[in-house]
Amino acid sequence: MARLDIENLVKRYGDFHAVRDVSLSIADGEFLVLLGPSGCGKTTTLRMVAGFIEPTAGRVLLGGQNVTLLPPWKRNAGMVFQSYALFPHLTVAQNVAFGLEMRKIPRADIDKRVEEVLALVRLGGYGGRLPRQLSGGQQQRVALARALAIRPDVLLLDEPLSNLDAKLRQEVRVEIRELQRQLGLTTVMVTHDQEEALTMADRLVVMNEGLVHQVGSQRDLYERPADRFVAGFVGRSTFLEGKIDTPGRFTTQGGLVLKCVGGTTGPAVLSLRPERVEIAPVSQEGGPLAGLDNQLQGTVEFVSYLGSLIDIHVRLSPADRLVVQIANREGGFAPDVGQSVHAGWPASAGQVFKA
Amino acid sequence: MSDIAVATGPVVEKRRGEGLTATALLAPATIFVAICLLAPLAFLFRYSLNDFVATKKMMVEAVTIANYVKFFTDPYYTTILATTVRIAVMVTAACLLLGFPLAYVMARTQSRFKNVLIILTVLPLFVGNAVRSAGWMVVFGNKGFFNASLQGLGLIEKPIEIMYTEKAVIIGIIAVNLPFMVLTLQSVIEGIDRAVEEAAFSLGASPATMFRRVLWPLAMPGILAGTILCFILAMNAYATPFLLGGPLFKMMAPLVYNQFTQQANWPFGGAIAFILMTVTLGLTLVANLIFQRRRAS
Repeated sequence: MARLDIENLVKRYGDFHAVRDVSLSIADGEFLVLLGPSGCGKTTTLRMVAGFIEPTAGRVLLGGQNVTLLPPWKRNAGMVFQSYALFPHLTVAQNVAFGLEMRKIPRADIDKRVEEVLALVRLGGYGGRLPRQLSGGQQQRVALARALAIRPDVLLLDEPLSNLDAKLRQEVRVEIRELQRQLGLTTVMVTHDQEEALTMADRLVVMNEGLVHQVGSQRDLYERPADRFVAGFVGRSTFLEGKIDTPGRFTTQGGLVLKCVGGTTGPAVLSLRPERVEIAPVSQEGGPLAGLDNQLQGTVEFVSYLGSLIDIHVRLSPADRLVVQIANREGGFAPDVGQSVHAGWPASAGQVFKA
Repeated sequence: MSDIAVATGPVVEKRRGEGLTATALLAPATIFVAICLLAPLAFLFRYSLNDFVATKKMMVEAVTIANYVKFFTDPYYTTILATTVRIAVMVTAACLLLGFPLAYVMARTQSRFKNVLIILTVLPLFVGNAVRSAGWMVVFGNKGFFNASLQGLGLIEKPIEIMYTEKAVIIGIIAVNLPFMVLTLQSVIEGIDRAVEEAAFSLGASPATMFRRVLWPLAMPGILAGTILCFILAMNAYATPFLLGGPLFKMMAPLVYNQFTQQANWPFGGAIAFILMTVTLGLTLVANLIFQRRRAS
């Protein structure tokens, strides 16, 4: 295992910028997740690290060594593909042994190593099967075993769970994460699934349109999103359009005057997490809203019952609508459509971004 | 006794008319093949066992293997068979060698001109063999385009003899067969996940190793199909060897034709036709077996 440094990586296809100036440092043993919508450049970045795509500019350093111009077969990077890309004509054991044979390791050592790695992914005894005789989850584990067998300097995962069904995906997430910790693997994973990203990563990178928008921990991204894109992409946010009159004072397009923290005068957008907003019946003065910086009256327009949670869409003004999420507690307040309610939040719950 | 259990299980009732429709749809092709292929073959085989009176140019009813014996005991004819097999093998090997890279590029290209590439590959098939061979004659002649160009450039002094040699025949048949090889290979390579190649690279395989260990074995069904198709076409080539090889160059298909039309020797012509068919089939099967055995091991 080794550290991985990506320096000012750029990939252009004609006029199209797939990746614009991406720099990242992944520490030895760290699990980094590249998160973003499709076409954001995350896969291109990963493929440049693997060596399948030659960067237009920038450098890739693996364990301090510049590998930017090395072909993939001369880098020691283990890759797990979205389609698994198992060799269909080879058995499970032959698939796992492939990389070891390329390294001219003696046969006896290869057999021993293959057995170890298959046991590691709980596929001991499956060595003689062909990939098509395995379930999707098992194939995924073979792909992982094949990448691990070569003791790679870095493990690259390209949407490795997207072909598994939802329940299996949750199990495999934990499994890969535990294996990664146990072996101390420097890992880069690409995904568009934020739940997957949040459960697995040490650190996350949010990308969009070829740019890195924010790098940070789960908490950083959620509590302190760097910009409107991150606020909307990681978790959910309600965006109120408007402007900052003076720092600390935000006026929405609908004319609501709200207290916020900081901001610079000019057009802006106020972002609110749905679960940070309190809601109470109009009749009940004070109550849960007592002392909140912002207290507004609105009408419930839409309610969606999600089981443990309830989403409530509240119309605050003709131009402003807010989503509030409340826990579904016994005896808790659950408004109906058309009902008038009070919604409130502390100034610190809102994030102000320049529009 | 699981078979019995299945047999005695509830029989799914067929929708009425389903069997009838299937019969109606299959019958025309079956009848066509029976009448237009099997019947002539049966007659031809019967003729090949007949006697031939050379002086009267007449076929005489008999049951004899004399025609087959004649073919295999006369070095003139066995040489023609050997030439045919040799040419067919060389052409097939050349088509595979030339066709694989082209098929690979066509299968993997992301270009929007991919369809144009495919049409260009098929285009030669729009021109009949005879017409094409006539074209080759113009190009390959001693004063043809090829020699005139080289002489004009001062690269050669005397024209290179191509026309009416084996070279011309081989080039000609390759040109005819290449599209078949390319199209067969291309469709199979397209079915191979590109990520599988990348996986091999990421595991440390150089392009040559990746080709040998991954691409070649996975493309094997296409290689086999393309090779068989190409070999059969080459073994039975008629117009190309006839027009480009000249009067002294002999291959099997022109020989068969010659026996029927020039010599009016139907029994011997029939025998040669059957020998050609059997050798083609036999060699194809043997190659198939060898390939498959090597794959299994």
